Amino acid sequence: MAGVLVYIEQVGGDVAAVSRELMGKGQELAASLGGPLNALVVGGDVAGLANQAVALGAATVYTVSDASLATYTTDGHVAAAIAAVGAAQPALMLASASFQMRDFGAALAADLDAGLAVDVTDLKVDGGAVSAVRPSHGGNVINTYSFAAGRPVVALVRKQSFAEAAGGASGGTVTSLPLPATTMRTQVNNVAPKTGAVNLTDAAIIVSGGRGLSDKDNYYKLIPPLAEALGGAYGASRAIVDAGWVPYEHQVGQTGKTVSPKLYVAAGVSGAIQHLAGMRTSRNIVAINKDPEAPMFRVATFGLVGDVNEVLPLLTAELRQRLGR
Amino acid sequence: MHIVVCMKQVPRDNSVKINSDLSINADGIEKIINLFDEYAIEEGLAWNEKHGGKLTVLSMGIDEWVEQMRRALAMGATDSLLLKDASFANLDTLAAAKVVAAAIKKLGDVDLVFCGRNSTDDESGAFAPALARALGWAQLTYVGKVLEVDPAGKKVTAERHLETVIETVTASLPAVVSVIKDINSPRYPSLLKIKKVAKIQPPVWTAADLGVSGLSAAATISSRVPPPPRPSGEIIDGPDAAAKVRKLVDKLLENQII
Repeated sequence: MAGVLVYIEQVGGDVAAVSRELMGKGQELAASLGGPLNALVVGGDVAGLANQAVALGAATVYTVSDASLATYTTDGHVAAAIAAVGAAQPALMLASASFQMRDFGAALAADLDAGLAVDVTDLKVDGGAVSAVRPSHGGNVINTYSFAAGRPVVALVRKQSFAEAAGGASGGTVTSLPLPATTMRTQVNNVAPKTGAVNLTDAAIIVSGGRGLSDKDNYYKLIPPLAEALGGAYGASRAIVDAGWVPYEHQVGQTGKTVSPKLYVAAGVSGAIQHLAGMRTSRNIVAINKDPEAPMFRVATFGLVGDVNEVLPLLTAELRQRLGR
Repeated sequence: MHIVVCMKQVPRDNSVKINSDLSINADGIEKIINLFDEYAIEEGLAWNEKHGGKLTVLSMGIDEWVEQMRRALAMGATDSLLLKDASFANLDTLAAAKVVAAAIKKLGDVDLVFCGRNSTDDESGAFAPALARALGWAQLTYVGKVLEVDPAGKKVTAERHLETVIETVTASLPAVVSVIKDINSPRYPSLLKIKKVAKIQPPVWTAADLGVSGLSAAATISSRVPPPPRPSGEIIDGPDAAAKVRKLVDKLLENQII
């Protein structure tokens, strides 16, 4: 076992940002492990992505191409990955921590009897051994995992944990592998974009509202306009999702989405531990609440003590004027 | 048909401490059924009511968890099973899935397993896929709607709710299905039912009963610390709300946050 194998995900025919990040970190880790950085592209049409992976620094890009792989299935994509792991013999396999990659990575690790770490925020190699850092318990516990010797490691990495590979590399080769015979136990009938999907996890700015907004009408009157003025998405606390004000899709926290935007505005959100679990790693936090003792102020970069019903319309108007929106 | 629901006990919130041996200390925090598992139990009950047969609620845990298992029985589960052995204590998720798989194989007639999408304490979401692979069964993860369970035709069709898309997928039975939060509304067990199950002791299967030995964790925790404190923030002062708002926007612009 040597080196690193990165599973390349694609968005609209291009290598996904998170995969470019994994190629960036993978280069450093492969050097520390004394092996190559390789990549794996699985799908119906793989040539374009394989060339992009070479430019991102892969020594060998393994491709597994088959019409049945155009849409993700656990059985198909895990079988393809096992073929590539057989060829590359990596010490470490990297993929993102998206839902689909958790479905894939945990199944792959189980099949390989590998060490598994999910939602990894940092990786190190020390004396040839990989260690992985991952938060648990809503970010209240930061765990470092070490792995049994002689077994490969599968790490599923949180996006935006590492800098992207620079690109522009050349000299790598592309090796095509056949898809091994495999029993396909699932059949995908349809893939539909979520209607009105709010991809909170990708948003750079999020404005969230909570019970401090008093009612559903106030939420919609105050929160989406502020989010729009900031060019961001809008989220919600569990309390108001459970109360039926806002769809679950918008819930941030332990049982909703975990987000880490550049700016998180918490308006009338007191900061229950379940909510903090989903947003405490945001780079900047603005707390607006009339209760100066609200726990959200303890994690806030900027705190504004005031009634959201008074403050938010003023803030939206000020931002529209200053940002020209 | 025979449905199994896997469940776990977790602390109600994650304000936990870290013991010197790196184990998690949740003393003094109320214990509940892992929230996503409650949805799994409800989903299992709905299909059990439709197709009849058994609904077994299964935990790999300790005696303390029996209280939460009784809640599942009060909700309507017909059977319970606790997997308990000192050797299970330090297993990682993948090895734990092998233990649960051995129990499901031993039950023999299981058609469908429901799990929560992840536990709210460990949060990895690895258990359901690992269980499916250990059993050699199909897996459907992050399911937001089960459209059809067809025991005669041996298939299950469900919607997987991913970040930006909804996939409609049909899997062959037996299968493992993990569910998300908004799939249903879990029922509250009545006091009468809670009283009725209060003395039930789930059967216990040990490592010897399951014939599992020599399992080891491939991933072990070498360090566990609280998160670094956030740098202390600044309270925006001003004579009135308008002045505070202007100052806040100044700060956001100055620091290139917006």
